[in-house]
Amino acid sequence: MVTNDELIRVVDVKKEYNHGEIKALNGCSLTVHKGEVVAMCGPSGSGKSTLLRCLNMLEVPTSGHIYFDGVDLADKNVDINLHRRKMGMVFQHFNLFPHKTVMQNITLAPVYLKLKTKEEARKKGEELLKRIGLSNKANEYPNMLSGGQKQRIAIVRALAMEPEVMLFDEPTSALDPEMVNEVLDLMRDLAKAGMTMVVVTHEMGFAREVADRVIFMDGGQILEENTPDLLFDSPQHPRLKDFLSKVL
Amino acid sequence: MDWEGIFGNLSPASFFNFSFLGEYGKYLLQAIGYTLLLAVVSVLLAILPALLLAIMRLSKNKLVKGISGAYIALFRSTPLLVQLSIIYFGLFGAVRIPNNWQLFGFIPMSRFIPGVVALALNSSAYVAEIFRGGILAVDIGQTEAARSLGLPAWASMKLVVLPQAIKNVLPALANEIVTMVKESSICSTLGMAELMFAAKTVAGATYITLAPYTVAALIYFCINYPASKAIEAVERRMRRGDKR
Repeated sequence: MVTNDELIRVVDVKKEYNHGEIKALNGCSLTVHKGEVVAMCGPSGSGKSTLLRCLNMLEVPTSGHIYFDGVDLADKNVDINLHRRKMGMVFQHFNLFPHKTVMQNITLAPVYLKLKTKEEARKKGEELLKRIGLSNKANEYPNMLSGGQKQRIAIVRALAMEPEVMLFDEPTSALDPEMVNEVLDLMRDLAKAGMTMVVVTHEMGFAREVADRVIFMDGGQILEENTPDLLFDSPQHPRLKDFLSKVL
Repeated sequence: MDWEGIFGNLSPASFFNFSFLGEYGKYLLQAIGYTLLLAVVSVLLAILPALLLAIMRLSKNKLVKGISGAYIALFRSTPLLVQLSIIYFGLFGAVRIPNNWQLFGFIPMSRFIPGVVALALNSSAYVAEIFRGGILAVDIGQTEAARSLGLPAWASMKLVVLPQAIKNVLPALANEIVTMVKESSICSTLGMAELMFAAKTVAGATYITLAPYTVAALIYFCINYPASKAIEAVERRMRRGDKR
């Protein structure tokens, strides 16, 4: 479902820590179109999570530009909160709010930000929970749920904001193996429904099957970018060849 | 009970000459009330300023952070007695409270208010550090999740971080009351008729030099020891409930 409408454009983003001692991102550029699923792969410490977190400014780039819907988020005068509403984010460790029930987790932000009334948010929440088959958990607290359930709820919590793009930061890395598929299935459904997605993942099979484009990163740089078939079957960069030989 | 008959022939310097209890028992009971009121009210008053100080301390703005840091440093690095004296003679030398205001008929406000203010200002510096620890103990992922949903910084603090932080610090806060029950004895130096002052008064009036202080020590112990044991028990239960 790739269209030509550009949603996110990253231009030469650099991220340094400790006054330039550590270079996490070393000039990355990337475009994500509406409806596209982009997977980001690479060894640990390659900067893929940092780049993803730069997209919604959880990490503020040292230099460069991040255009979302044409607005440069790296501009200090931009109210980032308004744009984050449209960028759902899913974390490795779920980060559900433990003091809130499942339903409260889902309705908290839309209601507080006055995007929906309490009833509307609740209805939307019930709808979403039904879709993932967890309607019976609406009034439970997160500590009663399994990892896979937590992550699916976290995805639903982000969806409740009706975002234009979903950012996934290693969404299955903290899960027990038998729970990985329930989360990947949900992500697969989202992709099929046309959601724009950027996914940092170690699940190569998933990337190959679902992604429209795969990005390989190492050393804070995007080394290769291609359709999954070409990237996995005829890798060009020696680092990518080396990486694939170890993980596949 | 005939305290005079039982203890009357003990030496005035005896640890256990409790012969004064008949005459002064009610006075001591009032003093316990005074002490508890000082401790509880001052810690309760300290909570909001402490929360403000803690959030300021965690601010990225250097000035805001500095002001809070200076306040905390000042109150933690000078003796409470000095702070109390400065506030009593300085601040409340300028702001007079009418002498005839009484709380429960035995606590003159003209002394109680300066005492409570001094204890609260002092306590807020310590409670601020408790809150700061409690806020920092909440996983950074909670803030990131809240912010990624588009919640502004203060909303994510209010709705997501603080409710979890406050639950974490409740035992420490209760311990601060226990500390204040003891620390408030310093108010005796400025004539606030709390427990320590009462012991001193009884000793002076009866020439029984030691036993009133024994009684005071026993009372302090009987308040604080069970209280801290109860807090420990609550803390243990909370930790068990935290497994998630």
